[in-house]
Amino acid sequence: MSQVKFEGIKKQYAADVFAVSDFTLTIEDGEFVSFLGPSGCGKTTTLRMIAGLEKNTHGKIYLGDDLVSDPENKFFLPPEKRHVGMVFQSYAVWPHMNVYDNVAYPLKIQKVPKDEIEKRVLEMLKVVELNGLEKRMPNQLSGGQQQRVALARGLVMQPKVLLLDEPLSNLDAKLREKMRTDIRAIQQSLKLTVVYVTHDQIEANTMSDRIVIMKSGKILQVGSPKEIKSNPVNDFVREFIQ
Amino acid sequence: MKKTVLGLSIFILLVLCVYPFLELFLKVIYSGPGGTLSFDAFNSVLTSDTILTAVKNTLLVSTAVSLLSCLVGIPLAWLLSRTDFPWNRRFRSWLCLPYAIPPYIGAIAWIFLANPTTGLLNRILGHSFLNVYTFSGLVWIESSFLYTFILLTVHASLERMDSSFEEAARLSGAGPLKIFKDITLPLIRPSILGGGLLVFLATAASFGVPALIGSPARIYLITTQIYTFQKMGSMSGIYRAGALSMLLLFSAAVTLLIQQRILRKSQFQTVSGKSSRPSLIELGKWKTPSVILVCAFLFLVFILPLSGVFISALSKVQGEFSFDNWTFSNFYRVLFETQETGRAFWNSFSLGVIAATLACLLGAFLSYIQVKTKLKGRNLLDLLASLPYSTPGTVVALALILAFSNGFFGVGPSLYNTLGMLALAYIVKYLSFAMKTTADGYRQIDDVLDEASRVSGAGWGRTMLYIWLPLMKAPLVAAWFLIFMPVVSELTMTILLTGPGLETVGTVIFQLQEYADASGGSASVLAILVVMLVVLVNWIVKKSSDGRYGL
Repeated sequence: MSQVKFEGIKKQYAADVFAVSDFTLTIEDGEFVSFLGPSGCGKTTTLRMIAGLEKNTHGKIYLGDDLVSDPENKFFLPPEKRHVGMVFQSYAVWPHMNVYDNVAYPLKIQKVPKDEIEKRVLEMLKVVELNGLEKRMPNQLSGGQQQRVALARGLVMQPKVLLLDEPLSNLDAKLREKMRTDIRAIQQSLKLTVVYVTHDQIEANTMSDRIVIMKSGKILQVGSPKEIKSNPVNDFVREFIQ
Repeated sequence: MKKTVLGLSIFILLVLCVYPFLELFLKVIYSGPGGTLSFDAFNSVLTSDTILTAVKNTLLVSTAVSLLSCLVGIPLAWLLSRTDFPWNRRFRSWLCLPYAIPPYIGAIAWIFLANPTTGLLNRILGHSFLNVYTFSGLVWIESSFLYTFILLTVHASLERMDSSFEEAARLSGAGPLKIFKDITLPLIRPSILGGGLLVFLATAASFGVPALIGSPARIYLITTQIYTFQKMGSMSGIYRAGALSMLLLFSAAVTLLIQQRILRKSQFQTVSGKSSRPSLIELGKWKTPSVILVCAFLFLVFILPLSGVFISALSKVQGEFSFDNWTFSNFYRVLFETQETGRAFWNSFSLGVIAATLACLLGAFLSYIQVKTKLKGRNLLDLLASLPYSTPGTVVALALILAFSNGFFGVGPSLYNTLGMLALAYIVKYLSFAMKTTADGYRQIDDVLDEASRVSGAGWGRTMLYIWLPLMKAPLVAAWFLIFMPVVSELTMTILLTGPGLETVGTVIFQLQEYADASGGSASVLAILVVMLVVLVNWIVKKSSDGRYGL
């Protein structure tokens, strides 16, 4: 796992329309960081810039020691070369492949030998508690199970960083609570660097090492849940974190 | 009251959309002397070598056209929806335009370009370099229109598809081609199969191109064979045409059933609530080559044939290329001097207005019952109306001739070769389209708007006038124009339903091209006018609906 570093990131759409601006932040190796803010605040855009699914127009992004995006010098590493895992809000579990094939796909692309693929996929399915369901098709799984498939698929290639885009928003309240603790436990035991996007302050508070509060494309405050709660920089943050 | 209205509607649809086919079937079965049971017509059709060849040709051409259309349509759809191809919206509407142009216009254009002896391209490339009167000529011209079916369906399903399926594969390390093969293609396979079968059906049902290109080359298809039988004029000819059209109808029904089954069985849930902007694949160094390729394709299917028709329409003497030879006199002659063509224009225009208006009124009424009431049996309306829509035009025309030639259930004069018969045919054929378009419109209007108006004290009539009509304006206008447009240039049904003395734009173009002066440029003039009408109508529909309808 690696560090993620943003240096003066901006995402500009038009002359003075910025989706994200002046975003500077370092996410440490093994840290769980949440981007928290109302919809349209730029948190998902920032997350997708780590993956390379969106391009920043200014500034630099580093994954570990590698520079992955530097538009001023016309450098951009495409998403397929960045080696990041991502869990999408809609899960994006491929409906035409069974659980095993979904999770094995990133390893097949990397041309990992077959027996090693099998070993690693089964191991990962055990981590997300899906062992025994390898042959199931996605439409035979519950929403929570599909979520776990997506998680296993994101983790199986041992990515530099795991990105989670509002992964719990489609689950019911009870399952959401269990997934919160499960994701945090997996993160701790595998020592993952996680960037987690949410608009739910309970999720952010219970899971993260640090929270980044965003509004209108800008960082308002960065700190541990405790710090932010005890010392909010302004009224917006105070009300949002309540 | 409501039940009576529904019952009456079902009765009307049974008479218009089902009875003719029943009549066709019965007349062919009871075609023996004095109306006795006889299978002679079927026998003579099924044992004739000519017919078997026509069936074989139809299968071959339809398969080839479907494959070629997929080969062109799928990459285009992908390029326009998944990559940073420049001006993709504009290119999409240009590339889809052939969808609205009747393919026989293409046949005329390509005859002008690639006629083995006098074709414009052959004069440049050398004598007999290209020959349009061949199997491949037929396949090429049909495909250059029908690829739009694939482009439209595949493009729509790519746009609807949740883009995170592909993004997840990208993050797994897969490149664009691998993603297309592993993820995109399997997910859009149902719409490819569905679109492909529609192309197959459309080719098998087409008449204009096979008649203008195939017949001179002695490549007969089922539709052109039916035409030949029917034009023999004898009763036995009609019966044989009827038997053959039953065969066509049967294969069309089977194809449609397979298509629906595929769509129902293998449709993955690939649509999610969240619509994030998909990250587009950057073409990079492939951008210029792909733009050139697409432009070349556009030139080949659209610009080249269109300019061919233009040159022909503007030439004083056909086949001479000098500035002195340019003239607008052909336009003047066709529109104002030749009685036949002027009459054809007037006929087609008024038929378009009448058919579009009546089909829209009836369609809006029927779809209101279907969508906004809870009456039992309301879904029957859609089913009945869609029967003629999905039946090949040749079969619809033949069924109408057999059902209504002796007047309306024996009452009144014969409808054969009258404007009334043509209007009836167009309404029957396009009623389902009007219903579907207006039904979609109704579905987007919440019932509470109606209820709010009622609570405010407005009765049914005023609610219709002040609430429904304004809200339904866009779908109604679109439906009207999208029926008007094909009716004005309709050929397949019209050619069977009319005889001498009753001209429409379609039949006049066809006859000018087939029998009369290929040298006068009249057919080209009419073809140009049809294309201009299509472009104009498409523009009106698009503007008036803010891009919801139209290409």
